[in-house]
Amino acid sequence: MQKFFRRNFAGYAFLSPWLVGFFLLAIGPILASLYLSFTKYNVVRPPQWLGLDHYVHMFQYDQRFWKALQVTFQFVVISVPLKLIFALGVAMALDKGIRAIGWYRALFYLPSILGGSIAVAILWRQLFNYDGVINLILRLFGAEGPYWLADPKYSLWTLIVLAIWQFGSPMLIFLAGLRAIPQELYEAAEIDAAGPVKKFFAITVPLLAPVIFFNLVLQMIEAFKSFSGAFIISGGSGAPLDSLLFFTVYLYNEAFSFLRMGYASALAWVLLLIIALFTAIAFWTSKYWVHYENERG
Amino acid sequence: MSRLTRRTFLGASGSVLALAAMGRPAFAQTAEIRHFWWGNPERDRRTFEVIDIFNGKHPDINVTGETLGFGDYFTKLTTQIAGGNMPDVIQQGYGVLFEYIANGAIVPLDDYVGKTLDISKMDQSAIDAGTVDGKFYALSIGANSHMAMYNSRLFEEAGIVPGEDFDPYGYTYDELAEFAAAVKEATGVAGTDDNTADYQNFSDFVVQKGAMLFNEDGSYGPNQEIVEEYWATWEKIRNAGGTPPGPESAGLAGVSELSQMGVVTGKTAMTYLWSNQLVGVQSLMQDTLGAAMYPNTPDMVPGSIVQPSQFVCLTRDSANPEAATTYMSAFVNDLDMTKVLGLERGIPSQSDVRAALQPDLTDVEARSVEFFDKIQGKTAVLPPPPPSGSNEVEQTFERLAVNVLLGERPIPDVASDFLNQTRAILARA
Repeated sequence: MQKFFRRNFAGYAFLSPWLVGFFLLAIGPILASLYLSFTKYNVVRPPQWLGLDHYVHMFQYDQRFWKALQVTFQFVVISVPLKLIFALGVAMALDKGIRAIGWYRALFYLPSILGGSIAVAILWRQLFNYDGVINLILRLFGAEGPYWLADPKYSLWTLIVLAIWQFGSPMLIFLAGLRAIPQELYEAAEIDAAGPVKKFFAITVPLLAPVIFFNLVLQMIEAFKSFSGAFIISGGSGAPLDSLLFFTVYLYNEAFSFLRMGYASALAWVLLLIIALFTAIAFWTSKYWVHYENERG
Repeated sequence: MSRLTRRTFLGASGSVLALAAMGRPAFAQTAEIRHFWWGNPERDRRTFEVIDIFNGKHPDINVTGETLGFGDYFTKLTTQIAGGNMPDVIQQGYGVLFEYIANGAIVPLDDYVGKTLDISKMDQSAIDAGTVDGKFYALSIGANSHMAMYNSRLFEEAGIVPGEDFDPYGYTYDELAEFAAAVKEATGVAGTDDNTADYQNFSDFVVQKGAMLFNEDGSYGPNQEIVEEYWATWEKIRNAGGTPPGPESAGLAGVSELSQMGVVTGKTAMTYLWSNQLVGVQSLMQDTLGAAMYPNTPDMVPGSIVQPSQFVCLTRDSANPEAATTYMSAFVNDLDMTKVLGLERGIPSQSDVRAALQPDLTDVEARSVEFFDKIQGKTAVLPPPPPSGSNEVEQTFERLAVNVLLGERPIPDVASDFLNQTRAILARA
């Protein structure tokens, strides 16, 4: 033990800022929120034990909880596949060996760096405003655009477009995956007179499956947790008509607008369980469609 | 100890760095006081100037200012309460003050009155407004009322003469529908904001209809009829053509930034706010603003109240309450400081401060004072403080009213939905 410590002391010393942060700022609050989810806690007064009351209220009486779930699922189900398809498409285009490819890669990755930021959310709000750039362009073509942000029919779509626009990181991963596919397979397929569609579904997709799976899980989790865009564009409330009431936005409102920290903690744990469940489902189905090179079969 | 190897050296220096990263600030000699308020650019400029004046006069106290927009102010304050690091002096409004007192975040000032805190010149009504259960908690820094602000240039272009075509201190919603449409007709700018989703206007309307927002027992005052009539009233104004299209107004539901208000963005010619905000709004505009009361029903029952616009309060986290109350006292009494503050936070509650301001009021401040003189006798009595949960009721109103603006659901449906949700919120609070 002592020997172990002496040998690894320097390593732990260097790790210490991270370790302190991990236990004090991550594990501690996570456990605290589990406890708080069973209490009534308004920050100013000490928590009072309620047992399962919050969870019962949530599932039985809370209409906005169900609305938030609906909005979030809609966002995840639509934005994640579209984003992956878009990322794969761009990755395949860049894989062709275009001149100055490095520049394109950097350029396409840029939105992913900016995408989560408040500034981009504000920019998005300006773009999609009734008098914004999008409608100005539409007007040039003689079309009158709708109220993208104020009309609940369209508001979620502006955020889906924002999510798709941030396709940079799955694109880079796809690009690396595409590079790893042996060219001989394509050459052999061409000799057998396979067209591009056939090649895509018979070679690219199966060999890329592990990468697709990895991107799918990552992007799904990210979409469930998505917050800043909806928060900024809806003015913090999920407006209009709760059409942008992402689960995280609802959670934030309960916590910081209405000071129901206990209830908000319960919501956070439900979100955690939902994400865990969907990740588990993804892993379970992957047995049937993801095959790894070193597997027998 | 073994000899110094590269590994042990790196290890030691690594841990030193880690410790240094967690370092603590040096102790200060002077009393550090933090003052936190919500504001707008004009208020922030004035308040920082006042802090400089105070620090110049009191070398033993160093006040620092922190400011945020109204929308984020209470969120930050909440996290500070949780962290036990609230600023010493905070700004509070009449609506939420009582929740903070009940929670113990704000502490009584009685121990400091007559020592570091001078309230001898404060109006009794202002002292009463800051007193709860016999204890004095909050220094009023200005009185306030509901005010409709209109763009005089646009009204003039449309040939609407205030005082002739309508009485700014007593006009009906029907008259508003008429002249708002006339402004739109003549200038292309909508004559008025659409207040369908504006809870402040709704609360005014409720009192005009002889009800109270909250009854004595804490239950909700407005009934189905009043809610329906309010939305129908604005629907009529909208249909007459005097407001921006419904979806445009829907996008502004719940927005509190002055820079987003219709008169400032130039989308409308009339916006409904608090009277003290006249100074802040005017500073964001070229055209001159006129002041009017809120519209009324033909019965002309007063609906607007005069209330303390804001208070400064001492928090329980203040390490040096003597220094903090010294600053608070100067904030309301020191004539050099109150002169800079002017009427931006409302009409001051100290007679000598008002008298000192009188000779060199700016034009816009003079308009504020005139408005206050004119509304005397036309305002309603101050209701009891709202119960907890009222903030959520307000947000529910703003959210559901969007249904009406977009024409998604019939008004009676939305009204009963609103009242049902309100009952549930108040039962749970």
